[in-house]
Amino acid sequence: MTPTVSASGIGLRYGGTRALDDVSLRLTGGVTGLLGPNGAGKTTLLRVLATALPADQGAFTVLGHDPSTARGRQEVRRRLGYLPQTPGFHPDFTAFEFVDYVAILKEMTDRGVRHREVRRVLDEVGLADVRGKRMRKLSGGMRQRVALAAALVGDPGFLVLDEPTVGLDPEQRMRFRELIAGAGEGRTVLLSTHQTEDVAMLCHRVLVMAGGRIRFDGTPAELTARAAGRVWSSTERDPGARAGWRTGTGSFRNVGDPPDGADLLEPTLEDGYLLTLDGAGAEVAA
Amino acid sequence: MNRQLLVPVHRTLPWGAVGAAGGAGLLLAALTRTGETGERLSLPLLRAAVLAFALGLVFLLDDPARHTTATVPTPRPVRVALRTALVVPAAAAWWTVALLLVPPDVRPPVGDLTLEAGAAFVLAVTAAAAVVRFTEVTRPGLPVAGGLLTTAVLALLLWPERWALFVAVEDKRWAAAHDRWAVLLAAAALAGMLCTREPLRRGAWRPAR
Repeated sequence: MTPTVSASGIGLRYGGTRALDDVSLRLTGGVTGLLGPNGAGKTTLLRVLATALPADQGAFTVLGHDPSTARGRQEVRRRLGYLPQTPGFHPDFTAFEFVDYVAILKEMTDRGVRHREVRRVLDEVGLADVRGKRMRKLSGGMRQRVALAAALVGDPGFLVLDEPTVGLDPEQRMRFRELIAGAGEGRTVLLSTHQTEDVAMLCHRVLVMAGGRIRFDGTPAELTARAAGRVWSSTERDPGARAGWRTGTGSFRNVGDPPDGADLLEPTLEDGYLLTLDGAGAEVAA
Repeated sequence: MNRQLLVPVHRTLPWGAVGAAGGAGLLLAALTRTGETGERLSLPLLRAAVLAFALGLVFLLDDPARHTTATVPTPRPVRVALRTALVVPAAAAWWTVALLLVPPDVRPPVGDLTLEAGAAFVLAVTAAAAVVRFTEVTRPGLPVAGGLLTTAVLALLLWPERWALFVAVEDKRWAAAHDRWAVLLAAAALAGMLCTREPLRRGAWRPAR
């Protein structure tokens, strides 16, 4: 299968900080999750792949085109949807007008076809009823859905979503998960998030970034399996644990290297993620 | 370029800021009609009017949807050019009215002063384009307005005499000063064009994260 994204040795520096360090990856269809702590380089990687920011080093193709050339970047942008971390809007535009404006910027010239497409994506994100409402009157969750509609307009082959569920309440997050799962059918979606539950529920593949590098690349099950035999329960916080916290039942859940005879628990994806970061931290420190 | 962009882009322009700055500028120009002192100060008053309008133009590139539309195929230079083109007729009309407000017998040389105004307007938009180019801000207008005002005051006070720009009409350096204004206009226009480019590779010019 031809990959949607094929990247080799991408590097990018901000002053003395190496934001991306020799990042190589291949993305194919479906939803891929990108996990990592703040400052890991997730947003920078997404912006580079979305052609919003040029890299210092390395080479990559998106949808078969090389974004380091003007023509290649143009071709990528014609088939790309991008939802930035902090999407902004023109407050006096209605939801329909804003998505229509983005559709015009995406070179959709036929007004009839474009308006049908705008109605389709607004319907897809569940905003058909409020499409005539001005942006400044919409709730935060609704605005986020308008931004997703703007990313989806034109049926892009590659969708880049930067923390789309931040600031949403649980119901809105659930609604967004449905939307992202739908968006991942028949196209490639790269989803940056801090929410391990989002990755567990949505993604067929997960990347973990730390210190500008990819520390893990595999399935959510493989990430979870990293914590197999390394999560245990105790009545007191185990001083040998890498992380430990009191649960609602009063017992402690510990992650790390368990003592002999420990009461082992079923690991979660978050446990695997924590242990991967812990290993990455040790590697960085070394 | 898609002609259907005209209406939405027109709606995104900061007409409120431009209108307020234009109004303030016209008030300053109208002060030249308030008697002998006003007439005597016609040149500095017109220059102050130009500065006022330029302070409105620095809001031209304010775009709250900047990041949401960062990766659309319509290139950024095209969008900046469209915004600028839409405001040019308003700027031309404003400048005509400002000049007409000055009594003809005390009106400074129109061509030379138009050159000064053009340079100031292009500098203002270029400053905003530079902030957009090198930072992630979506509304560069306010900080650029502060910077432009400070720069104008400092230029008036500290600009070297040998490269004088703000000279009186009867000053023998008037012609040489306007050669410098022409160079300033050309340099600002060139810098503005460079600032609106989208880099393919990162080099010495690096936008902040």
